[in-house]
Amino acid sequence: MIGRIAAVAALTCSVALPASACVARLDGARSIDAARHTLAFRTDPAKVTVGKPFAVEVAVCPKDPALAIDGLGVDAHMPAHRHGMNYRPGIKPLGAPGRFRADGLMFHMPGHWELLFDVRDARGSERIRAEVRL
Amino acid sequence: MRRAVALAGLVAALTGAPSGPAAAAVVAFSAEEKHAIARHGPWPPPWKRDAGNRHSGRAAAIAFGRTLFFDARLSRDGTHACASCHRPELAWADGQARSTGRALLDRNAPSIANSRFERWFGRDGGADSLWSHALRPLTDAREMAMTPALLAGRVREHADLLRAYRRVFGAPGDDDEALMVNLGKAIAAFQETIVTARTPFDAFRDALLRGDRAAMARYPEAAQRGLKLFVGRGNCSVCHFGPTFSNGEFADVGIPYFVAPGRVDPGRHAGIRHVVDSPFNLLGKYNDDRTRANATPTRHLLLEHRHWGEFKVPGLRNVGRTAPYMHAGSLTTLEQVVRHYSELNEDRLHADGERILRPLRLDTGEAADLVAFLESLSAPPARGARP
Repeated sequence: MIGRIAAVAALTCSVALPASACVARLDGARSIDAARHTLAFRTDPAKVTVGKPFAVEVAVCPKDPALAIDGLGVDAHMPAHRHGMNYRPGIKPLGAPGRFRADGLMFHMPGHWELLFDVRDARGSERIRAEVRL
Repeated sequence: MRRAVALAGLVAALTGAPSGPAAAAVVAFSAEEKHAIARHGPWPPPWKRDAGNRHSGRAAAIAFGRTLFFDARLSRDGTHACASCHRPELAWADGQARSTGRALLDRNAPSIANSRFERWFGRDGGADSLWSHALRPLTDAREMAMTPALLAGRVREHADLLRAYRRVFGAPGDDDEALMVNLGKAIAAFQETIVTARTPFDAFRDALLRGDRAAMARYPEAAQRGLKLFVGRGNCSVCHFGPTFSNGEFADVGIPYFVAPGRVDPGRHAGIRHVVDSPFNLLGKYNDDRTRANATPTRHLLLEHRHWGEFKVPGLRNVGRTAPYMHAGSLTTLEQVVRHYSELNEDRLHADGERILRPLRLDTGEAADLVAFLESLSAPPARGARP
């Protein structure tokens, strides 16, 4: 389960935004600065509850303006337990460059979870992790 | 933990806090433990109607559902009612290791109390609503062995059933399947009313949150120690989470799933396939929630090999009254259940790399404490009387 990306949305994006634009476009988002991308995300609803479905809205921007985002995969796991979710998120591009929404996530246990974002571009895939404690 | 109790008494003596038997009988809980305990309440949760069942909460539907639940005319040969395996006097279970319908079944009948709080229904989670779950025993050839046509016929040919049906749903049309679904929704409306009462644990939990040590001290000390194990070293509350003491999902806990030589019970793996293929699931036309928001878990279900042999994490309310235990009733007492987790055979787990379950290695006193805690989760008989 670890390392498996449950679902991937592909997006051909001809316009790359500066990394700083990611956070600005998502109110209340958490921002993660990774090697090749900046990713901002927020959950819907804002408070994630054990056993309740939630969605994740994502804005991801390449640091190299020449690169476009080809797609995004979203999954989650509990590192200490070595298991993931029992549900496969559905991911769709939202039209604007680097914008995605993943629906159907559910954390079924309390504890330490990691959201896993796999951002695909011409250089391959970059995994970005975000910690969530329930 | 006994040291913690003694220390609490010593602190009380030194600080002038109330002492005596009541004050000394309160186990010390860390902030993290208190947080975990708080999440097992409040009880009961507030009423919330089932959006997928337009008859949820309607008095007429509840009354009709109660009648149907106890009515053996809903079985092919008139010998079995829902209540045959879900007996109110046995906490809505049947006390058998494996229940008997028209044949010996593969699984232990779970209590239906508190089922309205669940996400998946049945030991394998083969239904995604309470009303569609009611249709499974009705139509299972080994249980009540009915068909939509047979059920519709029974309603039409018995004046009392027809009158009650009309009162809730109006005149039955010629769609037998729709009529059957309505019966399921009435039965579910009744089942929703079966909620276990508050328990000694609930009184303790509430007292702990408001810092009422006198009230806390009325909870047996052994149960307090068991609770500390449950939310702490035992790690039980990871799966037995929340007010019902179940996270509503599925696990392989090392119980053999051979039903007979050469035949296994696939558990959740078959349950996922069943619910996805069912015309009565929440993605289908009988879901009364037009937004389909309640179908999100069904829409995103994941089927993997690891689900083989998993069974639903049962809620623990009334656990002291619902023996025998585990999916096929293989353990007869709570002491045996605790011993199972204490001496867990990790080779029997099909954990696929998971690292949740470990042998607890409890000593005799700790095992007794955990049993005392589990017994404190039982309540007087649930509401929902025989008609």
